[in-house]
Amino acid sequence: MVAPPDNDVLWARGLHYAYSGSPALAGVSLGVREGEILAVTGPRGSGKSTLLKCLSGQLVPHPGEVWFNSAPVHTLSRSARERLRRERFGWIDSEPHLVPELSAWENAALPLLLRGIGHRAARRTAGEWLERLDVGDCARKRPGALLMAQRQRVAIARALTTEPTVIFADEPTAPLHNADRAQVLRTLTTAARSHQITVVVAGPDDEIATLADRAVTLVDGRRTSGVPVPDASEGEGRAACSVSA
Amino acid sequence: MLSLRLARGAHPLVLLRRLLVAAAAAGVGFLLLCTLGYAVAHPKSTGESLVRLMWCAVPLAAVVQFALAVARTDPATRPRDGLDAIGLGPVRLSLLAAASTALSCSFGSGVALLVYLELRGDLGGTPLSGSASGLLDGNAPLPWAATLTLLGLLPVLAAGTCALALRPRAGAARAARAAKQPADAAQDPADVPAAPVVPTPPPAPKPSYTGLPWGITIITVGLAMEAYVARGPAPDPDTLLALPGSDGASPGVIGGWLLASLGLVLAGPGLTHWCGVLLAAGRPGAVRLLAGRILQDAATRIGRPLGVLCAVASASLAAAELYGAAWEADGSRPFGPLTGLGAGLVMSCVTATAITAALDSRQSRTGTTTALNRLGIPHSLLRGAAVLRTGVLLAVLTPLTWAIAELAALPMTR
Repeated sequence: MVAPPDNDVLWARGLHYAYSGSPALAGVSLGVREGEILAVTGPRGSGKSTLLKCLSGQLVPHPGEVWFNSAPVHTLSRSARERLRRERFGWIDSEPHLVPELSAWENAALPLLLRGIGHRAARRTAGEWLERLDVGDCARKRPGALLMAQRQRVAIARALTTEPTVIFADEPTAPLHNADRAQVLRTLTTAARSHQITVVVAGPDDEIATLADRAVTLVDGRRTSGVPVPDASEGEGRAACSVSA
Repeated sequence: MLSLRLARGAHPLVLLRRLLVAAAAAGVGFLLLCTLGYAVAHPKSTGESLVRLMWCAVPLAAVVQFALAVARTDPATRPRDGLDAIGLGPVRLSLLAAASTALSCSFGSGVALLVYLELRGDLGGTPLSGSASGLLDGNAPLPWAATLTLLGLLPVLAAGTCALALRPRAGAARAARAAKQPADAAQDPADVPAAPVVPTPPPAPKPSYTGLPWGITIITVGLAMEAYVARGPAPDPDTLLALPGSDGASPGVIGGWLLASLGLVLAGPGLTHWCGVLLAAGRPGAVRLLAGRILQDAATRIGRPLGVLCAVASASLAAAELYGAAWEADGSRPFGPLTGLGAGLVMSCVTATAITAALDSRQSRTGTTTALNRLGIPHSLLRGAAVLRTGVLLAVLTPLTWAIAELAALPMTR
């Protein structure tokens, strides 16, 4: 076991993961420096979500090592990993996944309440973050009465309220239109930079890479330096079809 | 065929639920057959046969409710993305659920017929044969057309209720479409940005507690009517067996009981909702907040079966209060074995329905639970919230049920 470099807040080596036999990650190593915004890009099915889940301790790589602040994550028990996620990490999914029974501010304040912070303080903090993300006026509404863009912003506020050490965002702009996409991403990165939060954000395209400090590209569960894009502008199968016609 | 194939691959627990439906259907079929046998053997006493048949409606309703709850929880008949894509959408799946319900109920009815004939001694062959020939009027032949009609009643009713209750509603579809609106618009290639459409969130659904005032009113009316009508002496236990007040002494008593029960059923969702409000009142922490809000949201889903459970429990308590004295004093037995079977059937069906509804509400929250787990919320917290919910419901509903039972029995025990 090699000790990770000191300046990396998250460090992974030789991550392998397979979903009941189907390989998703095949030997990914990477380090995330403190306070940086790291983009993980790649096409669908390239293992971005699995990598984020392994890094955040939702999945245990087999084999592979994940270190957080120079302490191993992959050897922790399930409850210890849950506690780590609760207290040090934030998670933003491609779907908002809010608790439908709770109102917007209660959703955003839930991680604070779980940490045992008082009701009033949690409410104030959640309200401030909702205001900053332009959804302050929906604070009392249930997720069912909100639009998708508003729900996704509430989900981002929920991840930010606790001011975690690392935020994992798994395609946070997937359900949004272009105008909302850019704004949501910019709010997330601005908030992260102003609070010195490390962000690992996954996305299928380059729009994320432009906002990030560094980008890592995955293809078929492996890291690549550049993606070899097949030149398909002519239409590969068109000639073959015309022969048969 | 598809329902059989889906049943073969199902989870053992799901199969167990189906088997329970079949067993309950067998119980109701047996009761109906007993009624028929009595009517055939005693052609003179039409009134009493009719009363027996009417009493069969209570277990019948309980079994139909249980079958509906099981069909609603059945994972095989839940709308799935893959099946919807090949054209087996919610509409077809509701028909599928109706078909599998009819199947289980018919199976149970068949078993009931076999057991009944065996106990009467018509089949022979086993030591049990003819052991209850006297009770089941074994000397009178059974008319086949009437038998099949009575046995077909439950499958038809249960399947019809399933098809009606599980069919996709227009309101739900509209709400789902409104929720998906932005995603749909993004995927539509022919979407021309002609006029800026202002996106509107879906309208809020109807609150579940609207039935509470009605429920309280009807309970009060029922109890008042009972107290007003039943001013005569306590009725004789022998006449009470068939129907309280069937001799014309106090026909209002049964009406009052029924009204009080109906009121409890109506008040169930509202009571559950206000339990949730109570739980999340003040400045709650995470457990209390989650427990209370989940209870408020699940009020419709679990409130109605809980209301039915409370109604049946209070009726049983009142009956025990009334007849318990008669049971112990002299050796006369106010309940026959068939009354016991019917009462046991109703109670177990209603309890099983409430448990199934609780399972159903847990299933419908799987998405929320995964989202919470992703945040790192431990399972113990969710379990604690569930225990808290159950405790509050018990603490509110048990005294209420007991009080209504006492009030219902009071006019007759004075």
